Amino acid sequence: MNNLTSFQRKLVYITGILILLIPITWLGMPPEPGADNRVKPGSGGKLSQLRQSEELGETSLGNVDPTSSTMNLLLLGFRGIATSSLWMEAQDQQKRKEWAELDSTIKSIVLLQPHFLKVWHFQGWNLAYNVSAEWDAVADRYYWVKRGVKFYIEGKDRNEKFPELYWFTGDTLGKKIGRADEWKEFRQFFRSDPDKEQYPNGIDPDVKQYGKEDNYLEAREWFLKANEVVQTYKNRQHIMAEPLFRFYPARALIDYAMALQREGKFGEESRASWEDAFHEWAEVYGRQEFECPIGTIHMELQEDEVAEWQAKDAEEPQEVRRYLNWVARYQDMCNYRYWRSRCKIEGERDMADAHRDLFDGEEAYRKADFDTAIETYKRGLTKYEAMLKLYPDLKDDDNTIEEIMVAQLFWRDCLRIVEGAEPSDDEDFPLKDVWISHQNRKPQMVEEFQRRQRR
Amino acid sequence: MSLSFDPKPFDIVAGFTQWGVVCLVVAGIGWAVAALLMFLQGGAPGLARLVDQTLDVFRDFVQTSPRRVWALTVHTFREASRRRVLWVFAVFAVLFMFAGWFMPEMKQDPEMAVKNYVSFVLRTISWLTVPVVLLLACWGLPEDIRARSLHTVVTKPVRRHEIILGRIFGFLGIGLAILVIVGAVGHIWILRQVPAGYSANLAARVPVFGELRYLTREGATEDENSNQATGVNVGDEVMFRQFVEGNTKARAIWRVKGININQLASGQLIFESAFQSFRTHKGKIDQELLGQYTLVNPKSGVRVPLQPFFNREFRRNTYNVLDRNARKNAAGDSSVELKDEQGRVIDLGKDLLSDGELDVEVACLSPGQFLGMARPDLFIRLPDRSFFTSYSKGLFSIFLMLTMIVVLGVTSGCFLKGPVATMLTLFVFLVGRWAHAFFEQITSDKFVDNPKIQMRGRGLFESLYRLPTHISPQIDVEDTTTQRIIKAVDNVELNALWGVKHLFPDFTQFDTTPYVANSFDVPWAEALLPNLATTIGFCVPWIIVGYFALKSRELEAK
Repeated sequence: MNNLTSFQRKLVYITGILILLIPITWLGMPPEPGADNRVKPGSGGKLSQLRQSEELGETSLGNVDPTSSTMNLLLLGFRGIATSSLWMEAQDQQKRKEWAELDSTIKSIVLLQPHFLKVWHFQGWNLAYNVSAEWDAVADRYYWVKRGVKFYIEGKDRNEKFPELYWFTGDTLGKKIGRADEWKEFRQFFRSDPDKEQYPNGIDPDVKQYGKEDNYLEAREWFLKANEVVQTYKNRQHIMAEPLFRFYPARALIDYAMALQREGKFGEESRASWEDAFHEWAEVYGRQEFECPIGTIHMELQEDEVAEWQAKDAEEPQEVRRYLNWVARYQDMCNYRYWRSRCKIEGERDMADAHRDLFDGEEAYRKADFDTAIETYKRGLTKYEAMLKLYPDLKDDDNTIEEIMVAQLFWRDCLRIVEGAEPSDDEDFPLKDVWISHQNRKPQMVEEFQRRQRR
Repeated sequence: MSLSFDPKPFDIVAGFTQWGVVCLVVAGIGWAVAALLMFLQGGAPGLARLVDQTLDVFRDFVQTSPRRVWALTVHTFREASRRRVLWVFAVFAVLFMFAGWFMPEMKQDPEMAVKNYVSFVLRTISWLTVPVVLLLACWGLPEDIRARSLHTVVTKPVRRHEIILGRIFGFLGIGLAILVIVGAVGHIWILRQVPAGYSANLAARVPVFGELRYLTREGATEDENSNQATGVNVGDEVMFRQFVEGNTKARAIWRVKGININQLASGQLIFESAFQSFRTHKGKIDQELLGQYTLVNPKSGVRVPLQPFFNREFRRNTYNVLDRNARKNAAGDSSVELKDEQGRVIDLGKDLLSDGELDVEVACLSPGQFLGMARPDLFIRLPDRSFFTSYSKGLFSIFLMLTMIVVLGVTSGCFLKGPVATMLTLFVFLVGRWAHAFFEQITSDKFVDNPKIQMRGRGLFESLYRLPTHISPQIDVEDTTTQRIIKAVDNVELNALWGVKHLFPDFTQFDTTPYVANSFDVPWAEALLPNLATTIGFCVPWIIVGYFALKSRELEAK
C-alpha cells in the first residue's frame, strides 16, 4: 500500500466502501412500514426478516409507541431509576389524592415499562378499583372504572400476545361494573354514559369496542379474545388453571342472565339468555379438549361416551389413569355439573315464572299489598318446589337456598301481618324440606331479609 | 380542584426583622474576627485600615453609578445573546410539538385536563430557563477572567460590585426575554389546546380564606383533654383534612375577616368548597353526602342557616347564597329572603357583613357519614381575574427563582472557576428544590404529614441507640443520664441542621403551578410576597459576598 499514490489509496478506500455496502445493505436494510404501526411482513434486509421470523423485534409484541422507545433510548441506563422514582411519586400522589397528577405519572410509567405485564395489571386494577372507590359520586366512580378498562386496553395494544390483558379487560367490565355496590347505576351508565358532554349519544366507544349493550356481553367478547390469543400465539396465561380460564365466555353469559334476574327481568329475554348460557356451557365449553396426564379430555359426555369410557376404565387398574376420573376432577375444578344444571333449570319457563313470582311478591310486600304478596309468594314457592323435584342437585346450591329462605321469611312476615301467625313446621307448605333443613342459616337469612326490608 | 397545601400569609415585618438580625449578627461577627486579625497583624494602624476599608465598602455601595451598571448590563446582554442561548427556543418548540406524549388522554375530565395542560407548560418553562441562566451566570465571570477581557473593564473607573450588578442584570435580561417569549407561546398553546367547552376552567379565582376551627360532636370547643377541638382522623395517611361527623353537633367553622358587600360580584356571596366525603356505611349510594352552611355574625350573634347542599367530592362545589336560598311565592316569583333561626328576615350586607367578620359553620347532615375539610377547602369567591393574570404571576415567580440562580451563579463565579461554580449553584438549587421537604421533616419534632404524630429519635446518636435496642419511634426512651447526654448532643446537631436548612433557599415555594393549574389567582400575601422577600433576603448577602470575593481576588490567577 505504501507504494500507492494518495489518489490510488483513495480509490482503494472507495472501492472497499462500495464492496462493504453490499452486504451491509443486504443484511441491515430497514423494513417497510405496514399497517397499524407495524412492519410490512417479509420486507427489509436479512436481519429485519430474521427479527420478524423469530419475533425478536418490539413490533412482534404489539403496536410500538414511538414515545416509549424514544424515552427508553434517551434515558440510556437510567430507566430503572426513573421508573422507581415515578412509582414512588405515583404512590405519594395517590396518598395525597392528587388524581390528575396520578393519571399523568401512570402515563409516564407505562412509557418506560410498556411490556411489563404487572405494571398494566397493577395500575389498571388500581384505577378501576382503588381510585374509583375514593370518589363519592357514582358517576365519578364510573369514570375511573372506565379509566381502568381503557388502561388495560392500551396495555393490550402494546402487548397483543398477553392473554392476561384481554382477560383483565373482560373481568373489569364484567365484575367491577356488574358486581360493585353500585352495580345498578354502573350497568345503566354502561348502556348510557353519564358524561353527556363528551358522549352525547351515551356511547363511549373506547369502552364499548365490540358495541355490546350490556357490560357482561362486552366482557364476554374480551374473554373470547383472551382464549383466542392463547390458542393463536400458544402463549400461556398465568392467572388461573386452564379449565377455569377458558370457561369465562360461558360464565359471562351466565352472569348476564343472572344480572337480568337481579334487575327483575324475568321474561323471554332472561329465559333465552339462560338457554344461550346453557348452550355455551354444555355445547361449546363442555366439548373443548383439555390436556391432562392421560391425554385430552372433555367435560360434556354423552351417555354412550360414558358407557364406552366406563368399559375402558374398568380395564385400567390404576385409578389415576382412568378417563372418567380425570373428567370428574376437571368438572369439580370448575363446578361444571352445578352450572350445567343451573343453566338448564333457569332456561325452563316454569323456573323463570317462579323467580318472577318471588320478585313480584317482594315488590308487593314493599307496597304493603300483603294479600297479593302472600298469594304471589305461595305460587312462586310452589313452582320452585316443582322445579327442584326435577333438578334435586340445586337443593344444595347456596344461591337457591338463600332465595328460598328469604322468600319464606317475606311470606311468613306477610302472614303474620295479615293472619297474625305464620305456619308451624308441622303444617304443610311449599319447600318445607328446604326451610327445615336449613334452619341453621336462618340468622344470616334474617339479616338479608331485614336489609331488603330497608331498601 | 382544591389546594393540597395551606397558603399562609407571609408576615413581612417579622420576616425582615429576623433577617436583619441574622445579617447584623453575621456581619458583626465577621467584622469582629477581621478586626482581631488585623489588630494582631498590625496593631492599632491595622485596625484603622479595617475601618477605612469598611467605610470604602459603604462608599462603594452608596456611590453606585446606574449609568455604569447599565452599560455593563447591556454589554453582558449582548455577549450572552451571542452564545447561542436561543437554541433553547428550538428545544421548547420540540417539547410543545410532542407534548401529547407526556399528557394523559385528551378525553379527560375538564378540570383535570386544564390542570395537566397548565402544569405542563409552567414546568416546561421552568426546566428550560433554569439551565440556560444557570450556565450563563456561572460561566460569565470565570470566562472573562480566563480570556482577560475583565481586565479591560476593571482598569476603567468602575467599582467591583458594579461589575457584579451589571452581570446580574444582563443575565436577568436574557432570562426575562426568554421567559416572556416562551411564556407567550405557552399561553397561546394552552388557549389553543384546551377544548372550547373547557375554557371556563381557564380562570383565576380570587379566594378569601378564613381561619378554621372545629367543634366536637357534642358541640364543645375543647375536647375531653381540654385541648382545642379538632376534627376526626378517618384513617388518611396524610392528615391534611379533618372530618366532622354527620348529624351531630360537630362543626367546622371558618372565620373570614375583612370582607364586605362591596367586594362581592354584584353583591353575590359565593362559597366554593372542596370537602372530602367519607362514608362509614353505604347510605344512599346514588346521592352525595349532604352538608349545610350556617352564616353567623360573630359580633351580633345572628345565625342564618342556609339551604343544604350535596357535596361533590374532588370537584368545585359552588354555592351562591342568594341563588340557592331564593324562594318562590304563590305567584311564582322568586325572591331571596335570608332568615335567621328565629325566622326574622336578615339583610346580608347590614346584618351579616357589616362588621367585617363572618363565621361560616359547616355541618354534615348525613348520619354516620363524615365531611373532611382543611382551611383552603372553603373560601368566599370574589370576582374572578383573567387566566392571563394568574399565568403572568406564575411566570413572575419563575423569574424570581431565575434571579436567585443568576445571583448565586455570578457570586460563585467571582471566586470559583466555571465548572465548580456551576456545580455549586446546581447543588444549592437541587437541594433547595428536592431536599427541602426532607430538611423540614428532620428538623421538625412532628410528623409533617400528620402533626398529631410525634417524631422521636431524630438525632444521630439517639437513632444509633434505638436501632440495636429495637426501641420503636412510637415510645420514649428511659430518662437516664446517658440519654440526657445523647439528647443534648443530638440537639446540637439538629440545631446545626436547622441552620443548614436556612442556608438553602426553598426553591419549591417559587413553583406557583398549584395555584395557576387549579384556576386560582396567585395571591400576593401568600405566594408573591414571600417569594419576593426570599429573593431579596438571599440575593443581598450573596451580592455582598461576591463584591468581597471579586475585590480580594487576584485576577491574574486564572
